[in-house]
Amino acid sequence: MEGASYQRFPKVKIRELKDDYAKFELRETDASMANALRRVMIAEVPTIAIDLVEIEVNSSVLGDEFIAHRLGLIPLTSERAMSMRFSRDCDACDGDGQCEFCSVEFHLRAKCINDQTLDVTSKDLYSSDHTVVPVDFSDSSSGFENPEDQRGITIVKLRKGQELRLRAIARKGIGKDHAKWSPAATVTFMYEPEIHINEEMMETLSLEEKTSVVESSPTKVFGINPHTQQVEVVDPEAYTYDDEVLKKVEAMGKPGLVEIYAKEDSFIFTVESTGAVKASQLLLNAIEVLKQKLDAVRLSEDTVEGDDQFGELGAHMRGGG
Amino acid sequence: MVMGVMEGSDALHPSQGMREVDKQFLAAPVKSAVDKFQLVPEFIKVRGLVKEHLDSFNYFITTDIKKIVEANNFVRCTFDDKVYLRYLKVSVGKPSVVKDGITDEMNPQQCRLGEMTYSAPICVDIEYCNGSYGHIVHPQVKKGVVIGRMPIMLRSSHCVLFGKDEEELAKLGECPLDPGGYFVVKGNEKVILIQEQLSKNRIIIDKDKKGCIQASIMSSTSMTKAKTTLVMEKEKIYLNLNSFTSKVPIMVVMKAMGMETDQEVVQMLGRDPQYAALLLPSMEDCSNLGIYTRKQALAFLDKKHRKWNNSNNSNNRKDDGGALGVLRDIFIATIQVKDDDFHRKCAYVVVMLRRMMDAYLNKDALDDKDYIGNKRLELSGTLMALLFEDLFKTMNTGLVAYSDNLLNKSSRSTKFDISQHISREDITNGLERSLSTGNWNLARFKMDKKGATQIVSRLSFIAAYGYMTKISPQFEKSRKVSGPRALQPSQWGMLCPCDTPEGEQCGLVKNLSLMTHVTTDEEEGPIITLCTNLGVEDLSLLSGEELHSPSSYLIMLNGSILGKHRRPQLFATSMRKLRRAGKISDFVSVHVNEKQRCVYIASDGGRVCRPLVIADNGVSRIKHHHMKELKDGIRNFDSFLREGLIEYLDVNEENNTLIALYEGEATSDTTHIEIEPFTILGVCAGLIPFPHHNQSPRNTYQCAMGKQAMGNIAYNQLCRMDTLIYLLVYPQRPLLTTRTIELVGYDKLGAGQNATVAVMSYSGYDIEDAIVMNKSSLDRGFGRCIVMKRHTAVYQKYANTSEQFSTPSRAPHDRERNQLLDNDGLASPGEIIRHQDLYFQKLVPENANISVNAHPSNIKYRPSRQTYKGAEGEAAVVDRVALCSDKRNNLSVKFMIRHTRRPEVGDKFSSRHGQKGVCGTIVQQEDFPFSERGICPDLIMNPHGFPSRMTVGKMIELLGSKAGVSCGRFHFGSAFGEPSGHADKVEDISATLVKHGFCYNGKDFLYSGITGTPLQAYIFMGPIYYQKLKHMVMDKMHARGMGPRQLITRQPTEGRSKNGGLRVGEMERDCLIAYGASNLIYERLMISSDPFEVQVCRKCGLLGYENHKTKAKVCSTCKNGDNISSMKLPYACKLLFQEIQSMNIVPKLTLADS
Repeated sequence: MEGASYQRFPKVKIRELKDDYAKFELRETDASMANALRRVMIAEVPTIAIDLVEIEVNSSVLGDEFIAHRLGLIPLTSERAMSMRFSRDCDACDGDGQCEFCSVEFHLRAKCINDQTLDVTSKDLYSSDHTVVPVDFSDSSSGFENPEDQRGITIVKLRKGQELRLRAIARKGIGKDHAKWSPAATVTFMYEPEIHINEEMMETLSLEEKTSVVESSPTKVFGINPHTQQVEVVDPEAYTYDDEVLKKVEAMGKPGLVEIYAKEDSFIFTVESTGAVKASQLLLNAIEVLKQKLDAVRLSEDTVEGDDQFGELGAHMRGGG
Repeated sequence: MVMGVMEGSDALHPSQGMREVDKQFLAAPVKSAVDKFQLVPEFIKVRGLVKEHLDSFNYFITTDIKKIVEANNFVRCTFDDKVYLRYLKVSVGKPSVVKDGITDEMNPQQCRLGEMTYSAPICVDIEYCNGSYGHIVHPQVKKGVVIGRMPIMLRSSHCVLFGKDEEELAKLGECPLDPGGYFVVKGNEKVILIQEQLSKNRIIIDKDKKGCIQASIMSSTSMTKAKTTLVMEKEKIYLNLNSFTSKVPIMVVMKAMGMETDQEVVQMLGRDPQYAALLLPSMEDCSNLGIYTRKQALAFLDKKHRKWNNSNNSNNRKDDGGALGVLRDIFIATIQVKDDDFHRKCAYVVVMLRRMMDAYLNKDALDDKDYIGNKRLELSGTLMALLFEDLFKTMNTGLVAYSDNLLNKSSRSTKFDISQHISREDITNGLERSLSTGNWNLARFKMDKKGATQIVSRLSFIAAYGYMTKISPQFEKSRKVSGPRALQPSQWGMLCPCDTPEGEQCGLVKNLSLMTHVTTDEEEGPIITLCTNLGVEDLSLLSGEELHSPSSYLIMLNGSILGKHRRPQLFATSMRKLRRAGKISDFVSVHVNEKQRCVYIASDGGRVCRPLVIADNGVSRIKHHHMKELKDGIRNFDSFLREGLIEYLDVNEENNTLIALYEGEATSDTTHIEIEPFTILGVCAGLIPFPHHNQSPRNTYQCAMGKQAMGNIAYNQLCRMDTLIYLLVYPQRPLLTTRTIELVGYDKLGAGQNATVAVMSYSGYDIEDAIVMNKSSLDRGFGRCIVMKRHTAVYQKYANTSEQFSTPSRAPHDRERNQLLDNDGLASPGEIIRHQDLYFQKLVPENANISVNAHPSNIKYRPSRQTYKGAEGEAAVVDRVALCSDKRNNLSVKFMIRHTRRPEVGDKFSSRHGQKGVCGTIVQQEDFPFSERGICPDLIMNPHGFPSRMTVGKMIELLGSKAGVSCGRFHFGSAFGEPSGHADKVEDISATLVKHGFCYNGKDFLYSGITGTPLQAYIFMGPIYYQKLKHMVMDKMHARGMGPRQLITRQPTEGRSKNGGLRVGEMERDCLIAYGASNLIYERLMISSDPFEVQVCRKCGLLGYENHKTKAKVCSTCKNGDNISSMKLPYACKLLFQEIQSMNIVPKLTLADS
């Protein structure tokens, strides 16, 4: 069995790029590739999140484990995460996860001394490592109008006399283990739609009929050119594959007026990051992780486990060995 | 009751109807529907949701208690009749606690925590005379003598919470959303359930078991309680009364009451010969007996009179005066006989006869026992009043007996003072005992009720509410009849049509609707005067023939005949006008029964009623400016009532009305307009969005399930020390709300979360209603809950010693075991506690009965410990530790142990549409389907849940919530709310969806998370409010290999709590036998149960034994060991042999070679 080469050279075109948002096209590849990328971004790009909390004093209304859970979900800046070690395979500390190579220590001390309720927020967390800090939304472009109001993520509210004092240890992890380590808020893709309007047939329609076709789509895909009064595609990507236009056209008795296909090899990705990693970095890290995973598969090539694990796929990868 | 539009009549006479309507149209201001919804919150605000309980209790504590004491205010010693005591005044004080002789104010939260009873002293002013051997002594007066303590209903007029605002309530540690209406007895919250009963003092015509027509009346006065029944058997009419040994011909009774001639009776019955004809057999019967005069009749009845052999009873009925006395005092006791004038009673009997005959001639005249108008609801006030009266009388007889006893003694060391001997304990303990056990056992009133009270379960906020509106049935549940279980049309607006349990109690236990009120007793005197003024001819002035004269109607007040009126409609209208003007109470009902030619006026307690808007000729009295004034706060609900815009109608009076559902549907005949249609539902059914789109039983299921949902219990939930509290970590308010939700406060104390649900099939682990959950959602806190359990430890006090605090040892080998304990031997809050951990240690004296003289240092103690038993491998936390003294004044320590749980496979969830399901599997987020907007569902529900359940409401909820999240406005789904704008219409919801780029039908285009390819179908996806129910696998899962065994049978124990085995029962055994799996049976029934080796003597067949030391096997019957075989049999079998032997039966074993 001689393995044919399935190698392709996908292209990426970036449409929009912000710190926590990216929109790009991925072309000349198939759904498996696109989905692998999506899955890795959600579940396997490592970040740092609080994993262990030692509570010294907690006289707040929330229980210890409640606060610990909330702390865990606070996104921490994790540019370092790729180079950090997992504490389970850290040699320096025998895996107990307290050393500088695999962990970051945080401290929180808050006490309410006046009559006003005190909001303890992520800004009250003091990190031992300046590269790993709670994500700050105040300066991001998509943030709030008045940065003064934005005090980070509320952990707990304290009333007079209540106190919270704790030590927290953040570790590297992946989203597969717990959602707190997932760097992605949203990762999704869609097939790029290809919309054909049969111009000749369209000419036969009255303006009213044209508007009804345009308005049949819940999203603004079509528009009428005010000058030429022609129906044209305004934003093909707004199309949600809802078939409403096609149904409308069918109902009008003009099948084939509009035809929509999904391009099988072209994807539009939307990536939103939690702020732990920049959206662009998230993509690069994902590709890196994906490569590592493929390497791991290739390295286990000759082993029996490899065969057991991958079965026919393994044989296929080896090129029909 | 007639509802809706009278389309029929209008259609028949279009021209006439048009003309009438036209006239009104010209006269009336422009008719447009007024939104009267605002009245509902206003109503709830002035009334609260449990006003019926509060009103009833307030009535008891302010009015009824005085009546009771007044009726029994005189106590005289039988030994010396100069010695007496008279109660002058009674009042109930403020709730307080007496501790070490100091009276302190008290609030309910203290009682809950400290296991005390929330009660107030009952104070009386007394006048008494101690009389001293013939000397005349002036009576003395003592004020404020405490005769006992009355448990106080929370939020009643005597409660400290009465009239407090939110902040003050918070200071008292009370939740402002808590409705009150229950008692705190020994730290437990107890509610007296509403009891349903057939109304008293009313004639009920129905059929007995044999199909004979009977008229029965349950007469109940302060003195007696008796049931009178007239039966028509084989055309003859008899009286059935408990005081007579057998049934008595009615004509004999009439003669005994002084109506000696048959003509008189027939005259009273009316001129129509058919009635006389029906009475003829009875008259013949009487003459056959040879009874013609009153004397003869009484002599006849005397023979039938049941003699009370019981000495106790004969004492009480010394002056019962034989049969005449029975007729006077027990026979229809409601009609009181003055000076042997039986005229009223005769008239009443004739009315009963006439109604029976009507029923005989026309079956429609039978009364319906299940009709709500024939029922009365007994509330806490009534029950407490009965209990108090009984206890008060017991206390007084006890006082007399005690005084007699004292005075009887020849020598007394102290001066006798009757006021000193009033026992306070009788009443206090009696009230407390009845409230905490729920047994209302009052021999005096022939009452023996069990389970009248229940603990208010604080599983969820709604569950607590549910207890306040629950009505417990009058019938025993075993009866397999459908009548009382069926939904009654008269239930409309009064009792919730959805909220009833499933199973044996189905349809019997009911719940009140949102706006229902239950009346309390009202003074009859003013009403009688008023009636006379309005032209009612008094019964005593009427001749016999006039009683049923066709030209006039009978006027009945609370079941007794007042007189007659020639223009009944005019009379009823004027009575109603007076009521609307506030001259008589709002809750007096007037209703004209044309068929019975009667006007019924009711002012008794226990009738259910509800407010309705009054309409004049179909035009609502409430105009726009009224509602505007309400909005501006110039008006409140009471002013609407006072000004006659709104009135309360009970079920009977509703029969005289034509109620339009909406203002627009009113015709000229309409007399009333509904306030809001969704108020026909109760609190629990009010939580369901779009219930009018669901299949009816689904709503019923949800009513039961809403009570098991976890969420917030109350604002003070973290300060409560209940035995078990379930809380949700992140409860949310439903995206799709209803008006009821807002009124009740469910939006503030929610019990669920808005989950994004995709309705699709996924993974195969979603069959049979199981749901697939997203692991990331669970990581982020979806469905996470806190379970808090209370563990108690007590430092017992003994005669001369007591258990002591113990300082745990910190020695190296003890350190680990004692690490949770503080130096006082109690686990400290915040410590993590696991299965088998030690959380309490104390010192117990080795000898409890040590003498008084023993030196403290000589008392020897040993430590006693308590360990935590929780789920293995789970870490809980000690949340709080509280110290208080318990009922026996011992120091008790309460530990609240908190366990936070995330959902796992097998936990039970439910939407608000009776669709429960367990979590079938938990799947990684990346494997979940996603939309191109990046939306990924929190859970996946199988679409097979829809077709058979027909819960369309759930689909609309999904659509509505989806539109709600997109546009940022909470959508509404109140029942029947579409026309009045309290529920969003699907068209509008779809328009909103389309506006925000969704498909109008709520379906989304999803990609498979596993392959990345589009799914084959559009998926119906959006948020649905999901409840986590209290049933969790962690509390239920159970398996065992080896474990504990029972002592006597040596078989494995039973039940999860005792780590028991799983029983192969009879039916399972049968299966195995049928299958022929004999070795499996052998193993399950003996090897893994209770194998035992026995020595059997082959000769005598009895069991022998093996000498432990010599290893010799001996048969004790044969006295040798020659023929012993050893074999295995179940220990239980050996036990059975021995037990049989002990009964002198010899079981013999015959062994065969195997």
